[in-house]
Order: sequence, then structure tokens, then C-alpha cells
Amino acid sequence: MTDTVTIVPAARRNRARDPHRRQLLPLRAAALLYVALLVGIPVCFLFGKAFSAGLGTFWNQITQPGAVSALELSAKVAAIVVPVNTIVGVGAGMLLARRQFVGKRLLDLTFDVPIAISPIIIGLSLFLAYSKIGAFGPWLFARGVMLVFSVPGVVLATMAVSLPYVLRSIVPVLIEIGESQEQAARTLGAGMWRRLFTITLPAIRWALLYGIAVTLARSLGEFGAVLVVSGNRAGLTQTLPVYIYSAWDQNFNDVGAFSGAVVLAAISISVLIVLSILRARERRLRVDIA
Amino acid sequence: MSISLEKVTKRFGVTFGVEDVTTLIPSGSLTAILGPSGAGKSTLLRLIGGLVTPDAGRILIDDDDVTFLDPRHRNIGFCFQNYAPFRHMTVAKNVAYGLKVRHRPRAEIADRVAEMLELVRLSDFASRYPAQLSGGEMQRMALARALAIAPRVLLLDEPFGALDAQVRAELRTWIKELHDRIHVTTVLVTHDQNEAMEVADSLIVLNEGRVEQAGSPTDLYDHPASEFVLQFLGPSTTIDGVALRPHDLVIVPTGEGTPATVTEISTLGFEIRIAILLGSGETAWIQQSRAEFDAQPVTIGQSIGITRRDATVSPVGTRLDPRGAADRAPDSAAALTQPTTP
Repeated sequence: MTDTVTIVPAARRNRARDPHRRQLLPLRAAALLYVALLVGIPVCFLFGKAFSAGLGTFWNQITQPGAVSALELSAKVAAIVVPVNTIVGVGAGMLLARRQFVGKRLLDLTFDVPIAISPIIIGLSLFLAYSKIGAFGPWLFARGVMLVFSVPGVVLATMAVSLPYVLRSIVPVLIEIGESQEQAARTLGAGMWRRLFTITLPAIRWALLYGIAVTLARSLGEFGAVLVVSGNRAGLTQTLPVYIYSAWDQNFNDVGAFSGAVVLAAISISVLIVLSILRARERRLRVDIA
Repeated sequence: MSISLEKVTKRFGVTFGVEDVTTLIPSGSLTAILGPSGAGKSTLLRLIGGLVTPDAGRILIDDDDVTFLDPRHRNIGFCFQNYAPFRHMTVAKNVAYGLKVRHRPRAEIADRVAEMLELVRLSDFASRYPAQLSGGEMQRMALARALAIAPRVLLLDEPFGALDAQVRAELRTWIKELHDRIHVTTVLVTHDQNEAMEVADSLIVLNEGRVEQAGSPTDLYDHPASEFVLQFLGPSTTIDGVALRPHDLVIVPTGEGTPATVTEISTLGFEIRIAILLGSGETAWIQQSRAEFDAQPVTIGQSIGITRRDATVSPVGTRLDPRGAADRAPDSAAALTQPTTP
């Protein structure tokens, strides 16, 4: 018992002289400075600017009809995109992690396309496929479906861009936990859906939540693809990021843009905090497995 | 419930498949599927469990053709090599799972879970999570979970594989006792022949996907159908190209039997191993008990004669008696060249 009492202060005293720690000090300083210059300080300026004319002005700006409708649309889009991509991601994830089939590698690769290429390319591609002059556009238009310059278009673009995240976060965990729990449940008489809901999803829950959070952040923040497909119709197809861009670039409403940006940033940072908590829990879970 | 496999074939690339397996696992038996790694043991078990569907052949459980029956309808208890615990559920919830799936009334589930936990001696662990259990405890939980549904057959994949030696030995005895108590037809897979011989009342020896021999452990040990079975089921050494058990070799005075020179003597507790060099330049070894050795000691470099005692006739008791062995010593050298396969 006395050992622990004497060892603890000694360890603390030695810490400053620990060569392993000393060696890392410059690296730590460099990493912090890098992140501060790239993200931390600019975001502080943004917050400063948004509130520079006072809280009242900030409130006025974010309660303007254009801003409110943009926020509403972003929320609506996310409310559709996140559940759909969660279901698609889980389904495709199970397929990729558990089955062998022809075209598996192609499917795997296709899911990575939205991560690899610029969203604006996704937007242009969707435009080429579904606009009135596009490949399927005329056929769809004849049936009263407008997928470009419309809210469904915004949903489509957002869906495409945020497609991979649930899949990518759950597949490694699905592979790691293996199939035996599902097989055990099967020998105990459980059908496919019961296995999914009582065994698989609980087993991957943290990774899944992490994937959902990233999908949400991505859906709320998507700009490039949405800009192309939405046609930027104020009050109609303007999501929050597009609204911010228009306020700043076209309407010379700097404070409006910054205020909107602060709202978006606040939402995203909250998601980020939730994410970091989930990540920590998932890491703990992985330690359990190991 | 008996299990019958008829010309069952399942191929996967090079190894792990099974080829034209026909065998009958008697009702109420404790059968071990034994073989080297890659022999297709686990595949055979998975075929019975329905986790794998055969390319050809039929599988019957108690005269029901289950070849294409989904594992969830086979009513089998399957214990996985890694135990496959449901990590997000307590021990009690794990054990209750199969009963919940069957929509048993809540009170019945509670009673059955308590009974099962009692059986596997985990009653005090009901509200623990698998991460809080040791390997042996997790194995017992997996058994309780599999047995809770009153399966027709119990299938165990390498049940002792990942455990340390002492827990293995305990669990081995315990599984045997459990089987004596509940009499459910049990099939287990193992690569350890001692384990199989100790636990099982019948063995199926697999090699490269084919059944080499099936029968009772003593039968297979004493009457191996092939050199593979002989070598796999116990210690073996080769004299004049014939594989035999090193404890079936007897030392006789020089001039009798096959001439040999003692090259090394090692003591492994109760057992003595004597390495010898034959006139032909081959090496072999003799296994003796301490008492056997002490009654007729040899030294390194000593010239001796060796002969083979007739293992199938000699009862275990006389084998340990050195004088008994000496009496039998004047076997002709010809005995050595007798094939070991009947």
C-alpha cells in the first residue's frame, strides 16, 4: 500500500524528464498549431463576425424567411436522407461483409465513389441523368416527376453524396465480429429479421450510430452537388449551405451569411461532439472484443 | 436421435471439404470427429448443423431428411469454437434466447434458464455479461444456451480448443458427466486424439475429407484400419517399414529379435522413452513404464534385441508386468514384419 503512495509522485516527477515524452513535445505543438491555423482560428473569426453587430442582429438574420426556409429544407432533406441511407448502408454492409457474389468488388468500389470524387461531379452527373435534357429526364418529366431544380432533386443529390458513410463505418465491425453470433441465433431458431434486430444491429450499434452521425453531418453540410441540382431557387430549393453561399456571394449580406454559417457550424459541432463520444464508446467495445 | 450421413460431399477449393462421407452416429452416443487440421472435421459438423449445405448426398437426423432444412428448423444445439456469445446480452438472456424465439411463456423461460444455469454451474453468473466470463465459463454458457431448447442433437466445434490445459481437463470430465446425465446425441470435433479417446464412446477419424475409420476408441486404437489411424490415434514408431505402437516393442537379449543399439533414454514422469538405432540405420523408439524399465534396465550404447509383443492379445495388466513381457520375449523377429492392420 505504501508503495503506491510513494510511486505516484515519483512517476509524476519523472514524467517531465521522460525521453519518450520529450521527443513528442515538438510534434504535439506542431499538430496543435496546424489545426489551430487551419480550422480553430478561422472558425473563431466566423463566430466573432456573426455576433459583431450584436445578438439582436444575429437573431434577425437567422429568423429571416429565407434563412428559416433554408434551415427547414436542410432539416427535411436530412430527415429523409439519413434513414434511407441508413437502411441502404446496413443492407449493403451485410451483403459486402457476409456474402460472396458476382460483382461484389464493383459494388464495393461504387460505394466509395462519392468519397473519392468531388460532390460537384456527382451533381453534374445527376443533372445529366435526370434533368429535362438528360437521359431519363424526359421520361420522368412526362410522368410529372421533376428530379432536377426541385426538392426531390436536392434529396437525390444529398442521398448520393452521403451514401457511403453508414456502410463504411459498419463493414469493418461486421467483419471483425464475424458471422458466428448470427449463426448461433439461427441454430437457436431465429429468422433473418430477428437475427438482424436482436443480434447484428446491437452488436454493431456504436459503429452504426457513428455512421449515422457522419451521414447526418454530411447531409446538412452538402453544398456542391446540391447547388448544381437544386438550381438555387431561393425559398424553394435552397438548403442552408446554399443559402449561406447566396447571401455572401450574390446578396452581399455578409452578416446574414456568417449568421447562417454559425447556425450550421453549431449543428455540425454538436454532431461532432456526439460523434467523439460514440467513437470513444466504440473503441471501448473493441477492447472488450479483443 | 441418430444422425446418418449418406455419401455426403462438400467441396471448397483445396482443403476443409468432405468427400463421399457415409457414417451413422448412433442415438445417445458421444461421438468425436477426429482428424488433423484441414481434414474437414468442422465442415462435417456444420453439415449436420445445416450451416453448410452439401453438394451431394443426404443427411438424416432420426430418419428425417434434413439435407435442405434451414438450421433454424433443425432443432439442434450448436456450440461454436469461439463460443459465439451474444456479447450485448447477460448470461441469462443468452440462455433464454432460443426459448424467446420459440415464444415460450415468460415463467417457463425463467424456470428453464434457472435449470440450465444450475446444470452448467453458472447460477451466480446469470446477470453477468460474456466479457466478464472466463473461457471455460463462456463455454458452459454456450452449452446452456444450446441445451435450453432441448435439441435433438448437440454439436460441439472444438469445445476445448481455446482453453488452458487444466480447464480443458475439467471441462472434458464435465462434458462426459453431462452426457451421462442428459443422454442427448452429442457430436464433437477435435484434433486432439487424447481428448477424443478420453471423452468419446465412438470416433470418426477423418483425413483429407474422407472417413478413415469409425468405431469405438479401443477398437480403433487396437485395430487401426490404416497406418494413418495408427499414427494419428497414439504414439507410433516404424520398424522395418511397419508402423506400430512403441509400447508394443519389447527388449530381449542380444541375438534374439531385431538387433538394435540404445541411443538415448528420456524420462517423462511415469513414462520412459528409449531411442534406438537399428542395424538398417533406421531410428525407432520404445515406450516403457518406469516399473518395466527398472525391472530390465538398459544403458546408452547397449546392444539389445527388440521384438514386438502381440498387442491385440496382451491384456493391459500384463503389459505393465516386466516379467510378463520377458516371458513373451522370445517372439520371432518375423513378428516385426507382420502388418499391424488386421
